[in-house]
Amino acid sequence: MQLIREIAFLLHKEWTLELRQKYALGGILLYVLSTVYVVYISFVKIDPDHWNTLFWIIILFASVNAVTRSFTQEHSSRQLYYYTLANPIAVLLAKILYNFLLLVFLSLLTLGAYSLVAGYPIRQLTPFIWAIALGSLGFSIALTFVSAIASKASNASTLMAILSLPLLIPILATVIRLAKTGFIPRAGVEVPIKGDLYILAGIDMLLLGAALILFSFLWRE
Amino acid sequence: MSKRIFLPALFLIAAFLPGMAQGSDTSADFMRSMGKMYVVVTAIGIIFLGIVVFLIFLDRKLTKLEKQTKQND
Amino acid sequence: MIKKHFWKALAVLILLYTFIAGLLVPLKPGIVEMDPRTVQSGRNISFKVKGYNTHYMNSDIRAWLKMDEDHVLAASPILIQNDRDLKLIFGIPPFLPTTDKTQNFTLIIDSPVDGVHLLPNAVFVSQDSVNLALASLQWPPERITDLHEKAGITFPFRNILAETIRNIYFHVPMWFAMILLFLGAVIYSGRFLWKKNMQDDQRAASMIRTGVLFGILGLLTGAVWAKNTWGAYWSGDIKQNMTAICLLIYLAYFVLRQAYEDPDHRARVSAVYALFAFFAMIPLLFVIPRLTDSLHPGNGGNPALGGEDLDNTMRLVFYPAVFGWFLMGLWIAQLNFRIERLRERRLEEE
Repeated sequence: MQLIREIAFLLHKEWTLELRQKYALGGILLYVLSTVYVVYISFVKIDPDHWNTLFWIIILFASVNAVTRSFTQEHSSRQLYYYTLANPIAVLLAKILYNFLLLVFLSLLTLGAYSLVAGYPIRQLTPFIWAIALGSLGFSIALTFVSAIASKASNASTLMAILSLPLLIPILATVIRLAKTGFIPRAGVEVPIKGDLYILAGIDMLLLGAALILFSFLWRE
Repeated sequence: MSKRIFLPALFLIAAFLPGMAQGSDTSADFMRSMGKMYVVVTAIGIIFLGIVVFLIFLDRKLTKLEKQTKQND
Repeated sequence: MIKKHFWKALAVLILLYTFIAGLLVPLKPGIVEMDPRTVQSGRNISFKVKGYNTHYMNSDIRAWLKMDEDHVLAASPILIQNDRDLKLIFGIPPFLPTTDKTQNFTLIIDSPVDGVHLLPNAVFVSQDSVNLALASLQWPPERITDLHEKAGITFPFRNILAETIRNIYFHVPMWFAMILLFLGAVIYSGRFLWKKNMQDDQRAASMIRTGVLFGILGLLTGAVWAKNTWGAYWSGDIKQNMTAICLLIYLAYFVLRQAYEDPDHRARVSAVYALFAFFAMIPLLFVIPRLTDSLHPGNGGNPALGGEDLDNTMRLVFYPAVFGWFLMGLWIAQLNFRIERLRERRLEEE
């Protein structure tokens, strides 16, 4: 119970912090919109396979940009104040949850903008939504943890990209595969997505477990 | 010592590489002759060179350390 | 003195053995070429056959085209041109014992000296029309009997591979040694977080550095081998991709180490990253194999080699090679570790 209360408190703190620095969130949104527009300008007509791959690559880079801030943005004095009070697990879970919501929001927004300019080839939304949900969760866990690792370095954002991209490849590959089933017309037979869903959920759980175990070692200063 | 030898050695290798790459037809034939034994020879050569390069890297590290030690004494 | 260093001597001896055995044991005789590869039924056709490591001269040679156990066609006459070249004449009946228009045949050659050797899918024979009744008359039941075995120790002959099959003793152990070194690094990283001993951090870093060296060597040797068997340096194969991702992760590890000045902080952060990366890599073993087929032996992404690709003679060289290269890697890593430790000590003194 205590943990949940702490998480709720920290989530609220994240949100107030976000409101105080609106330009950061605005920057990410603008980044997504301009990338989508660049993709549209360079391709004009996109076939579904490329549509899918490009969509997830946009999401990937937007996610890296969005989550990088989660540990670097805070001044160490304030961090110390909050986190002497809270359980490190609560801190990590709150950040992961917050970033997960942020990434889902970003993905849906990208989906909207992207569909508007580059066409909407999706025939079945269910696998696509699952891909966004589980993919965002995996991205959020891995990126939040890596951002905690990279936060104290001098060039955190570059480090962040280098450290996280290879780790995200398994999630990205599975998500792209899962999302592809969304292009099969509904009239066809039942699309087998269970295997990919289990794999994605398994990866998410594995990363979450590893992050929870290892985070306390990072946190003890 | 190491830098003075290492750099010319690199240049030498760089000078030979294009020669080896030239005329890909003949080199392909060469690789395919005698049951492609030269593929194995090349692989062993790569492993050997890789380990040698790593040894040079270790050697330079040690040289630096030795110099520091001498300065301190 | 000897007790302390015996494992290094062991590494050298084992590698010496794998180099000698791996390079000197001959390949089994095999068939490289058969010309022509596609023919029409109902004619007497003379085929040119080129052998590898064969000794056809003055040998009692028999040859067959085999469709299945019951349908076999013997060559007659057989003209021996030299040790490696044969001319085989087959009288192919007009009708084939199959309902297909085209049928593939395996060429089997047997000689007392070289033993039996074969070329799968050697010839494709096409027939104009199908007539099973006539075919069964034209193909009297014949069986291949009294085959010989090649005496002595040999490695198997595979048509595209030929001598490059020996690369299994040099290319594949690189990959195994890399994985074993990374595993060692994971263990030391965990031990560092447990006991906070700086030496464990340096041990892990040295092992990763050596593992990266072996990974790069594995990729390069693999690229040369792939170019000459699969036709391209990089074919986007699972194992190539997996090794590439491994290398990216561990190269990032060194960037991370460079980014932190404070040794304590650096050690903690890099140990945590090494462990997290290890967990993140586990899915690679399950995910990427589902995406594509592998050109590598052993079905998609399975690190084990299939039984068919590694016969017992090869195992006798391959497993020692893996162990020998692993010990060699440990040795290199230990040298690296000792230099790093010296440097740390110097920094502390200043």
